[in-house]
Amino acid sequence: MHEYSLASAIVNQVKQIAIEHKALKVNKVTVSADPYEMIIPELLQDAFKIIITEIELFQNAHLELLKLPAEIICLECEFKGEPSEEGDKEFAYNFKCSKCGSRDTHLNIRHLTIESVDLEILE
Amino acid sequence: MTQEKKISVKKPAYLQNDILADEIREMMKSKNKLFFNIMGSIGAGKTFLLERIAEKLSPYFRIFVINGDIATTIDADRIAKKGVDTVQINTGGGCHLNAKLIKNELDKINVDDYDIFFTENVGNLICPAAWDVGAQKNIVVVSITEGEYVIKKHPIIFKGAQIAVINKCDLDGLGFDSQVLVEDAKKIKSNMDVLCTSAKQITGIDELIASLGIKIQ
Ligand SMILES: Nc1nc2c(ncn2[C@@H]2O[C@H](COP(=O)(O)OP(=O)(O)O)[C@@H](O)[C@H]2O)c(=O)[nH]1
Ligand SMILES: [Mg+2]
Ligand SMILES: [Zn+2]
Repeated sequence: MHEYSLASAIVNQVKQIAIEHKALKVNKVTVSADPYEMIIPELLQDAFKIIITEIELFQNAHLELLKLPAEIICLECEFKGEPSEEGDKEFAYNFKCSKCGSRDTHLNIRHLTIESVDLEILE
Repeated sequence: MTQEKKISVKKPAYLQNDILADEIREMMKSKNKLFFNIMGSIGAGKTFLLERIAEKLSPYFRIFVINGDIATTIDADRIAKKGVDTVQINTGGGCHLNAKLIKNELDKINVDDYDIFFTENVGNLICPAAWDVGAQKNIVVVSITEGEYVIKKHPIIFKGAQIAVINKCDLDGLGFDSQVLVEDAKKIKSNMDVLCTSAKQITGIDELIASLGIKIQ
């Protein structure tokens, strides 16, 4: 349900960047998120399309969503990185530390990030 | 002639929200104010708990509560009867509060007139987890009537919380089990405060207030 808010946050920031670079058009916006951002990609795409219909700069813009792997921080040994396997059946997000095996781990949620924008600019 | 140019950005999409949230947190800290964000599902008892907290604290502190709901001012009106100031934000279709909405309300008041601020976030265990409102502590309220799997099913919001409140513990044993939820909360986040409360019978409220770091002398 928050895809619409996210899409509008993306468009607002990209619009700012496009204006700074005196761009004629925004061609592509690339964003990345890990699985725990809880984004439904289709909804994000739909929201993006709806929001840009009114904005001249974005008429040809398309949105690319890169999916990142999960990242954990171990509270036992401070390991930071990809978990060793999917969380246990009961506690879906209690991932196992790939260094010490503890399940006392925190998710390091990497929020939806604007990676890059492809702009059409005057030479 | 035009050309295509790739600009590397590498910034969070909620940048504006996160910056604003940090500003709110800094402002509250510099003024020595406390600010708590109360989240939880619909009907968990967020408003009832806030009424109980307000009853206990209003003789000693000046309190401001920001209520978020899709529609109506019912919750803000209920809490206002307990001697605190409230404002209701109607989010329309919005499923969460965000820093901008909070900032708008704080701009309308004099922050120095108050000691402690609370938000009652929109009732849901999903979206508010992703939106920082600038609070110093996030509190998630679930009630034992939501079923024994409610915490397991919504782990993310607990991962980001400092306090989990298991409410409606007066119904413990009447077909509901608070202990399962306490254990699940601890398993999801070992360093989180987990408390059992009953807003109805006024139990656990003092412990909750202590866990917020509020001292009544
Ligand atoms: N038995 C019992 N009922 C409660 C308790 N806390 C809240 N309720 C009831 O649960 C319903 C929803 O409470 P409310 O505070 O409006 O929940 P909110 O949607 O989270 O703000 C109301 O009918 C309350 O009277 C409690 O501790 N015990
Ligand atoms: Mg309420
Ligand atoms: Zn480890």
